[in-house]
Amino acid sequence: MELMKLEIITPNGVIFDGEVKQVTLPGSEGEFGVLAGHATLVSLLDTGVIVYERADSKETAVAINSGYVKVDEGKTTCIVDGAVALSGEDSDLAKALEAAKALLEKAQASSTAIAAAVSKVEQIGKSL
Amino acid sequence: MANLKEIKRKIGSVKNTQKTTNAMKLVSSAKLKRTEELAKKSRVYAEKLTELLTEIAQKMQNANAEGIDNVYFKDGENPKRVDIVFITADKGLCGGFNSQTIKSVSKLLEEYKAKDVKVRLRAVGRKGIDFFKFNNIELSDEIIGLSAAPDFKTASEFISEIADAYVSGETDKVIIVHNGYVNMITQELRVDQVLPVDTTRLELDTVSTSELEVEPDDDDTLLDALVKRYVEYTMYYSLIDSLAAEHSARMQAMDAATKNAKEMVKELNVKYNKARQEAITTELIEIISGMESMK
Repeated sequence: MELMKLEIITPNGVIFDGEVKQVTLPGSEGEFGVLAGHATLVSLLDTGVIVYERADSKETAVAINSGYVKVDEGKTTCIVDGAVALSGEDSDLAKALEAAKALLEKAQASSTAIAAAVSKVEQIGKSL
Repeated sequence: MANLKEIKRKIGSVKNTQKTTNAMKLVSSAKLKRTEELAKKSRVYAEKLTELLTEIAQKMQNANAEGIDNVYFKDGENPKRVDIVFITADKGLCGGFNSQTIKSVSKLLEEYKAKDVKVRLRAVGRKGIDFFKFNNIELSDEIIGLSAAPDFKTASEFISEIADAYVSGETDKVIIVHNGYVNMITQELRVDQVLPVDTTRLELDTVSTSELEVEPDDDDTLLDALVKRYVEYTMYYSLIDSLAAEHSARMQAMDAATKNAKEMVKELNVKYNKARQEAITTELIEIISGMESMK
C-alpha cells in the first residue's frame, strides 16, 4: 500500500511526523478518511480523534480540540491547538486517556461533539 | 592612610557588584534555555500556519484575478491609520535591548507622521510604556507582565481587540515591532506587518497546481478562522521571541559587566598595593631621618 506523509503539529511541539497508510480526521463537516494521492483539501477540524494507520498496520489515536488540516497528494498536515496521543504502556496510557478527556472537555465545541469524542476516547482506551 | 582604606572599600563594593551581575547572568542563561526550547517548539507551528495561510491565499488569488475579496487581505499600501504594537521588557539591565525597540518605534512614528498617517501605539512591557509616558506620547493600550511571561490566552485577548478594530475599519494596518532572538549573542529587530496579511512575504517553492477544496465551503468561515489564529499566534510567537532575545541580551550585558568588574578589581588592587608601598616608604623615610637627627 502506498504511504503518505503525516504531520500533526501543536503549539507545544510536533506530535507525529512520519509515514502512514491512512488517516481519519474529524472534519467540521463530518469525519473523513485520507489515503495517499488524495485531492488537495483544506478543512477545519472539530473536537475529536485523529486515527492513523502506520506502515506496520498499527493504529494510533490522537485526541484534538480544534485545528486545521491541509491535504495534498503526498502529504497531510494537521495544525491543531491541542493534542494528546493515546499510546504507550499501561500506566502511560491511563494518564494519556485522562489528559485526552481533560483536553476534550475543555474544548470550545458543542456538548454533543465533546461527548462523542470522549466516548470514542473511552472506547479506544478499552480496546487497547 | 585614609586613601588606603578608601581603596579597600571600593574593591569590596566592586566585588559585590560583580557577584550580583554574575548571578543575574546565570539566571538569564537558565531562563534563556527554557525560553529557547519554547520558541523552538512554537516556531514549527508558526511556520506551518503561515505556510498554510499563504498557500490558500495564493490559490485564491490565482482563482480570482482581482485579488482576494476579504477584509484581511486588502491592499496594505497608503494606510490612513496604523496600529503599532511594540514589545519591550518589563525590566532593564539588558544592554540596548529596550532602547533599540523604542528607537525603532519612534522612527516609525515620525515616518508616519510625515506622511500624515494617524498612528496608535500599543505597548507591551513596562520599559516601553515608561519611555513614551515620560515623553508625553499617548499610548492607546498598554499591558505589563505579558512580555515577561507570555501566555497564549492573554496574548490573544490583547491582539484580538486590535484585530477587531482592523476588521471594523478603525485601522488599516497593524504592525508588531519587537527585538527577536537570533542566537546567544545576536538579537535582531523585527518589524512585522500582521494585518493585512502579507502574502508576498513567503515564497512557496512547491505550489501544487491542483484545485483546492475547502471545507466548510463558504469561503470565509475557514479563512477567517485561519487568519484569526494566525494573528493570535504571530503575537504570541513575537512575545516568546522577544523574551528569548531579552534573556540573551541580559546575559550578554551581565557578562560584560562581570568582566568589567573583574578588570576594575584588578586595577584597584594595583592601586592599593602602590598606595601601601608608598605609605611604607614614607614611614621608613620618617624613621631613618629621625634616627639621622638623633646622631
